[in-house]
Amino acid sequence: MRKLNSKNRGDRIYSFCLLIPAFLLALFFILIPIVDSVIKSFQDFKVKNIISGKPGVWNNFANYIKLFASNALGNAVVNTFVFVVFVIVFQFVLGMALALVLNSNIKGARFFRSIMMTPWVVPTVISALIWMWLFQPQYGLVKYLVSLVTFGKVTEFAMLNQPDSALTGVGIAALWKQIPLMTLLLLAGLQNVPDDIQEAAMIDGASKTRRFFSITMPYMASVIKIAVSMSIIENFKQFPLFWTMTGGGPDGATTNLAILSYREAFVSMNLGSGAAVTTIWMLLMIITVGIYNKCFRTYDMT
Amino acid sequence: MKGRTLSKVLCYIILAVILLFLLFPIYWMLATSFKTNMEAYMYPPTFFPNETTVDAYISLFTVNNQFFVYYINNFIVSGITAIICTLFAVFTGYALARFHFKWTVIMSGILLSTQMFPIVSRMISLYSLMSKVHLINTMPGLILAISAAQLPFCAMLMSSFFASVPKELEEAAYVDGAGRGTILFKIITPLVKPGMLAVGIYAFLMTWDDYLHAATLIQTDGLRTLSIGIALRYLGELS
Repeated sequence: MRKLNSKNRGDRIYSFCLLIPAFLLALFFILIPIVDSVIKSFQDFKVKNIISGKPGVWNNFANYIKLFASNALGNAVVNTFVFVVFVIVFQFVLGMALALVLNSNIKGARFFRSIMMTPWVVPTVISALIWMWLFQPQYGLVKYLVSLVTFGKVTEFAMLNQPDSALTGVGIAALWKQIPLMTLLLLAGLQNVPDDIQEAAMIDGASKTRRFFSITMPYMASVIKIAVSMSIIENFKQFPLFWTMTGGGPDGATTNLAILSYREAFVSMNLGSGAAVTTIWMLLMIITVGIYNKCFRTYDMT
Repeated sequence: MKGRTLSKVLCYIILAVILLFLLFPIYWMLATSFKTNMEAYMYPPTFFPNETTVDAYISLFTVNNQFFVYYINNFIVSGITAIICTLFAVFTGYALARFHFKWTVIMSGILLSTQMFPIVSRMISLYSLMSKVHLINTMPGLILAISAAQLPFCAMLMSSFFASVPKELEEAAYVDGAGRGTILFKIITPLVKPGMLAVGIYAFLMTWDDYLHAATLIQTDGLRTLSIGIALRYLGELS
């Protein structure tokens, strides 16, 4: 008995020590900065404060008042949500279609599965450059294809330079980069669907669509939940694609919350105002993920 | 029978369309890299290079060789981050999978919640906090900041690998008189090698892809990583 007790105490100390390095790293580089940025959002804090070493001064919510008075924030919130919904819907539908095709025993499935992963390992900045090259307004391939398809009626097509199509352009690049991982995760989920139940349903005369929605989808619920929530978080935070492809333009059409906060903080050099944007952004993200988890729980199979 | 052939054809059409979308841009990148400068800027564009040249590659090695500095920096940053993340993920993942005390629950809560914090928000305050302790514009500062960002996911992934190792193995070793360090490093860790490899590759790829950390924390050209270097040098040509 004595030995067991001492083992338990040893376990406590040991597990505590094992967690220390990760905890310190998270404390100094994530938790403290987050709290600090929320505090800064209530202060008048600019780059000159860093250079002179002066602390920020409380400024009666001026950062927030300024944000809500201009329509930049509303615009950025709308853009962020439109982008997230657009990318997730198409990513899920296309990823699911590809996963189903690759899972049905067609020839060369293994080969296709490995080559379709290539976009995933292309760095984000490179994929932005590839798509900018394709969308290029003077000699881009997409412009040429559009003029071919419309029989020369549309000869000037600049995806990223028109306010109404720029967000779609960035969305296509995001889809290109993210469909492979989504497909891979869904494929892993599809392999968990038991064959015997599928067969039993087939013998009972269930149609293909019926089997998909009543057997495949419920069995994949947990995989879908994780894959989609990872994708929501990633696209909610999407910065490099926007920054390299459009920089938030034209005319604010692709300014999402990440671009807005970065502009405020590091281009206008007003860190306090940027921190106000990120604080609102953080709240929106927590609310969105919370709602998503709540909605999905009722749909869970178990 | 007719329905089956039809659905099979449909399958192949879906596969072809999606694969075309995923792979054509890669082909286009490669094809363009072998075109002459004149042909690359030609309209209408050509699908196959009329005359293939490797001039672009030669000039990469001779004229624009500052890219190698970016490549090397990126390798150093990604490599060290991958090592730090794997090592710490082993500690944390093992503690989270094996022990269930108050702090292990709190720790996994912290790790999960960090996924939701925007990077820009951290950057705003790290920019001023790190300049106070003179870590800004240095490689160790960049590596620590990125490691902290990658570690939560790595630790959770690692803990799922540790959870699949049977506990009896450890108890047997304990009865035989093995110390805690021996149990973790000599007995359990060798069993999760594939997991460590997966975590290491994940951390490396994510760091290789990083843009925001390097964009805000590094100002000297000699310390820049590849993403920033490429964005700075080539962006002007395309917009």
